[in-house]
Amino acid sequence: MTTAPMRTGVTPLLLVGGLAVAALAAFAASLAIGSSGFGLSGAGDAAGLIFWEIRVPRAVLGALVGAALGLSGAALQGYLRNPLAEPGLVGISGGAALGAVLAIHLGLSQAFALALPLGGLIGAAIAMLAVVALAGAHGGPVTLILAGLAVSGIATALTWLALNLSRNPFASVEIVFWLMGSLADRSLTQVWLAAPPILAGLAVLLFLGRALDALTLGEDAARSLGIDVARTRLALVAGTALAVGAATSVTGAIGFVGLLVPHVLRPFVGHRPSLLLPASALAGAIFLLVADIGLRLASPWTDLRIGVLTALIGAPFFVWLVLKTRAELAP
Amino acid sequence: MAAALGACSWLLAHGATAQADAKPARIVSLDLCADQLLIELVERGRIAAVTHLAADPEVSAIWEKGKGIPITRGNAEDVLRYKPDLILAGPFGVAQTVSLLRRLQANVVVVPLASDLEGVRTAVRIVATAVGEKARGEAMIDAFDRRLASIAVAAQASAPSAVVYQVGGAVSVAGNLADVVLAAAGFRNKAAEYRLTRGGQVPLELLAASPPDLIVLTSMADEYRTVVGDNLRHPVLGRLRQQRASIDVPWRLWQCGTPHIAAAIARLAEARAGIEAQRR
Repeated sequence: MTTAPMRTGVTPLLLVGGLAVAALAAFAASLAIGSSGFGLSGAGDAAGLIFWEIRVPRAVLGALVGAALGLSGAALQGYLRNPLAEPGLVGISGGAALGAVLAIHLGLSQAFALALPLGGLIGAAIAMLAVVALAGAHGGPVTLILAGLAVSGIATALTWLALNLSRNPFASVEIVFWLMGSLADRSLTQVWLAAPPILAGLAVLLFLGRALDALTLGEDAARSLGIDVARTRLALVAGTALAVGAATSVTGAIGFVGLLVPHVLRPFVGHRPSLLLPASALAGAIFLLVADIGLRLASPWTDLRIGVLTALIGAPFFVWLVLKTRAELAP
Repeated sequence: MAAALGACSWLLAHGATAQADAKPARIVSLDLCADQLLIELVERGRIAAVTHLAADPEVSAIWEKGKGIPITRGNAEDVLRYKPDLILAGPFGVAQTVSLLRRLQANVVVVPLASDLEGVRTAVRIVATAVGEKARGEAMIDAFDRRLASIAVAAQASAPSAVVYQVGGAVSVAGNLADVVLAAAGFRNKAAEYRLTRGGQVPLELLAASPPDLIVLTSMADEYRTVVGDNLRHPVLGRLRQQRASIDVPWRLWQCGTPHIAAAIARLAEARAGIEAQRR
């Protein structure tokens, strides 16, 4: 935990600035590429409609959801001091998906639209509290993953149950959406619903930087530095639930972004959460935007899901992390 | 178990050896499309059970007539409970049940899926023959043909184009009955001109970039509380429906190859007449 940052010659300002520029470039590229081709030449007289109502929502959601996943992964890893923490792996995304599915199928989201992100948010918060309670305050990495697996399993089973009971001829297609996620054919409606809670969650989590910096020294040391540990925990739960809950409620569960991104960045920022947090938010946005562009460029007609792509990249990395963790835990 | 065995021995004694000229009197159907033909060809007293879909207004053209008929869950044990002397099954999804029922000497007739107008006539004849109502079947086919003849479709050099746009962005393509229905109403199926995904979907962006003359929806978006149906609530589709001709043809009319698809053809032909009147 005391490894110094790699001597890369990258200053924090340069790193965050560079990531911000790259995120903007990825955002612009996402706007430029669509099913009807590069640019809008193939769009005919519907160009304006396609740009504002199809590409803008897709790019905005890609950026926001990626930032939400990357940032909450970094915050969870920092607070739990556990390299395997990630919203998908510890069941938070699963809980959010269940909350959103219930909001839709109980008819709540038809009664008032905000019920959808609210359902995701409540589901995420409950899953997160359950995992923390199950794993215990001082549980090791393995306990946390087991608790996450249990909560994830319950959430997935209940999601399938709700979909199967809904007398819905498309239940199987919908299960794929919630498990694998999708940014396809989302509209501004979903952006308006999800953006405010995601932005609020991002803000709450970004403000945790100083507290998480202090917590790397241990809880007692953090208290002596004037950090309110209980309040930090509450803010972490609220911020993650807001960001991941709202994100999942409109795009389904997209895994491994929150695991991969902070780990890739850590060599550049060392164990300084205050720097890792904004960097992870930006890199998360870049990762998801680029993955979504790749999906449209490489195989636009295969109907591949974005969650499949992030898992294909992230899961081998997870295997590597498990091996590394095992080596560290070995006597 | 005892009940099932009882049913088996009963079938051995009666089902297989039933007289050829005796009309089946305890008919069970395991398929939505067979349900509909059965209910319209045979008096209620001879129908033992149908699927739960027969009375579902979303998929059954005759859902009102389907109300109140006992429902089978479709597994072999449940089917045998009705001591059927004729079982109608569809070609898909029930192969296991059908082979099990046949091993138990039950009288199973598989009704093929109609993929064109002739297939509709074939399906009617197969069901009518199986239930012993050939004359009613021919009358049904005559009525169907008269209805088709009354929907005049002038041969068009430049037929207007249409797309059947469904939940999840799926579209009907060549080989689907809906494609045949479009052609019968005088439309060119524009689905053939898009690059579709493997799942047979057209991305909304492509639909907006080169929309068809007529957008055909099969169900209202609000019927499906699901994210998969979000494409039907998308503002872009709303805008396209204002710019182009658009029509709702309920799925129940053309989900199955029954003579009721004539009603779907009639609605589409009316829409085509409107489009052509505007062109002039």
